[in-house]
Amino acid sequence: MIKRNFWVLVIFTLIVMFQGNELIGQEKDLKYGKTPDKFAPYNNFRKAYKYHFLEPVQFYGAGREKLPPKDLKEVRLGFLGPLEGSAIVSLGEQMLNGTILAIEEANNKGGYAGIPFKLMVHNDVGLWGAAANEVVKMNDEKVWAWLGSIDGIVSHVALRATLKMEIMMVNTGDPDPTFTETNIPWTIRVISDDRQSGYALASYIFEKMKHERVAVIRTNTRYGRVGIMEYSGVAVRLGHPMMIEERFDTGEIDFKMQLESIKKVSPDAILIWGNAKESALILKQIRKLGMKQPVYGSDRMVSPEFLRIAGQDAEGIVTTCQYNPDADIPGLKAFQANYFKRFGLEPDVFASHAYDGMNMIIKAISKAGLNRVLIRDVLTDLKTFQNYQGITGKIILDRSWNDIGEIWMAKVQNGKFKYSASPTIGTKRHSNTNTKY
Amino acid sequence: MLKNVLIKYSKFATIAGVIFVAVSLGFNLKGQHSSDLNSFFADTLSTQDNTEGLPARNSDGADLNNNINAMPIYGNWRNFTSKEGLPDDKTYCVKIDGERVLVGTHEGLAVFEKGKWRTYTTKEGLAHNGVLAIDVSELTGDVWLGTMGGLTRWSAGKFENFTQLNSGLPNDLIYSVICDGKDVWVATGGGAGQYDTYTKRWEIFTEQNAPMHEPWTYGVCEGDGKIFIAAWGGGVVEYNKKTKKFRDYVDPDGNMEIDLFPDDGVVHDITTGTSWADGYLWVATYFGLSRYDGVHWKGYFDHDSGLASNFINYIIAQGPIAFICTDKGLSTTNGKNWVTYTKNDMDKNGKAVIIEGTEETELVMSPSISHNYVLGVDVKDNVIWVATSKGISRGELLK
Repeated sequence: MIKRNFWVLVIFTLIVMFQGNELIGQEKDLKYGKTPDKFAPYNNFRKAYKYHFLEPVQFYGAGREKLPPKDLKEVRLGFLGPLEGSAIVSLGEQMLNGTILAIEEANNKGGYAGIPFKLMVHNDVGLWGAAANEVVKMNDEKVWAWLGSIDGIVSHVALRATLKMEIMMVNTGDPDPTFTETNIPWTIRVISDDRQSGYALASYIFEKMKHERVAVIRTNTRYGRVGIMEYSGVAVRLGHPMMIEERFDTGEIDFKMQLESIKKVSPDAILIWGNAKESALILKQIRKLGMKQPVYGSDRMVSPEFLRIAGQDAEGIVTTCQYNPDADIPGLKAFQANYFKRFGLEPDVFASHAYDGMNMIIKAISKAGLNRVLIRDVLTDLKTFQNYQGITGKIILDRSWNDIGEIWMAKVQNGKFKYSASPTIGTKRHSNTNTKY
Repeated sequence: MLKNVLIKYSKFATIAGVIFVAVSLGFNLKGQHSSDLNSFFADTLSTQDNTEGLPARNSDGADLNNNINAMPIYGNWRNFTSKEGLPDDKTYCVKIDGERVLVGTHEGLAVFEKGKWRTYTTKEGLAHNGVLAIDVSELTGDVWLGTMGGLTRWSAGKFENFTQLNSGLPNDLIYSVICDGKDVWVATGGGAGQYDTYTKRWEIFTEQNAPMHEPWTYGVCEGDGKIFIAAWGGGVVEYNKKTKKFRDYVDPDGNMEIDLFPDDGVVHDITTGTSWADGYLWVATYFGLSRYDGVHWKGYFDHDSGLASNFINYIIAQGPIAFICTDKGLSTTNGKNWVTYTKNDMDKNGKAVIIEGTEETELVMSPSISHNYVLGVDVKDNVIWVATSKGISRGELLK
């Protein structure tokens, strides 16, 4: 009896020791969006009943059998971006320029089977819910695929419409993580999102720079509200939840009230999440208040506008950026030269990613032909464009068709942004120390 | 002494070990990745495929087993495409209106009456040829059409259009429309709208006056004195018509990439439709299905129920039965038993898979529904109409 129970005890102990993940319902790699296990929601407490985005959702509808139209004079492609009446028109114009350059280059090479591409340009700011109406217009114009947009609300509204119209949407400017978390099989995103930015910033701030008490001031828009979420989640899981979160509106110029609240809690560092103009003004007012903490920022601060307004105060600022103009990437220098020659200005992150995105659409059409569903199939097959070498780097899509490719840190030195690789995320264990809030 | 201690603790260890292993296996079987459970059902099915005594598989369902009485079975499918008179193969929605059937297609409104199809487009007065939603007023008989370019009222042979420019319509892209007495509700790309046909006034509901994250709405339904709005990214928004107050139902875990618990609330915040009937609110998402009885939520996924797919385009409930339009077929359920209709890839035939508890049987359908990508459905008396990505199907109640 003793002997038998002894062996039962031994077997039980071995089961406990070597159970691995099998016995707790974990059979697949559950890492979504390059998320380290310990950054995954609730992962330190229990497994979820259902994990999404582990397999791509396919489109099972009809349409692949449709033959291309005859006697086409032009192959229409759509563009949706902020071109009028928006605080981010300058970003939209860069995105449009990158798109135009890609189309002009394709037309110089003969377009599609000798038929020129034509860009149908749409402004995403106008009547309430304008993006939905503009996608309907693109459907009526019979575009084969389209590119856009930047604003998170616009992109979401357009995405829902594009599913109904069944037109492939390539997003090159909206970093809202929830954009591809919708399971809609009619879009890919060709720019790293705020999940990757948030992970990179959190790793840089907490692991590399060893800050513990970080204050946040962010725009009240969706870009700020949703953009900060992944950073915030990781900060909590690393044991350093944000000390204070202040907000501001687009167009605001006086941030004294928010900054005085931040000053009172004496943070180690400050993170600004907003558009270039407001972020620069906030930075200047931080320094004016005598606050000398290191300041970090979101991707939209990487712009000439930010440097111009912030001036000397910009020195030392660190942000993330989805584009490294100094990178040694095939085709990048030629793109920059051609862009400058065509438009008279340096391309930014939105121009460069739009150039990559439109080139992918053009290549997909050259492979699939003029059929919306087949164009979608090629762009989403996770083979044809997996590791696609763009001028922004390699495009790596996860199973929700979100770009999890490289992201860089950008630091202002001598009045210019200098770029470096982002830190490897998730090397630090959870903090068990009291961070003295 | 040592002997007694060993006996005592080894017994304890044995019991603890058994409990631990049982609990661990239990958890494993209940989770998403319970391949053991799935393969168990698969094995059961494959065994049944070769076993005598199961219900016969035929097209008329005459030999159906008595134990599936709880669920209606439809068959005798008849399919219509552009070859049979539809303006386009792509059909978005369908509404049975007395002796006629209204079908929204990508190229206009198709009306089936006395065995013939008739098409109405912008030439006749529609706001847009893309007709995404249809409802008929019980008060007036007016037909309300949600199109890609505005709301159209078809009344006494005339078309009247409501757009953002000529009315209080929130947005011209209308995903859903319902008639609720004198009111017409729409879910649009720019919020929900309520039109009072008596006062001719609009009220708009967005994130500024309702608990929505953003002004994106996709479905709307009425029930129990309330309006339920499927708010894209915001779960379900409930509007109490008496108190004019809102409340929302969202996924409690607050994360897009997981569902922590299946029965704790809406399975996901990306909702695509709602329907209320028989005391239940049914909620469709692209991540699964939810049902709410006013107290408890119940979640259904394709891996743990008879649901054809987690990607649900549309839902409508009638009595205890929910009709669920997915990208992989039409599922129907009473919350416990399931019937799912699909078409074979290579021919016009298909099947109905009937699940009652752990019992699964199949009925061959010849022909079956027109296409597996189902976008709309309506049921009246003994007839069902199913709008698909390639044509529309009419079925009859078999049992």
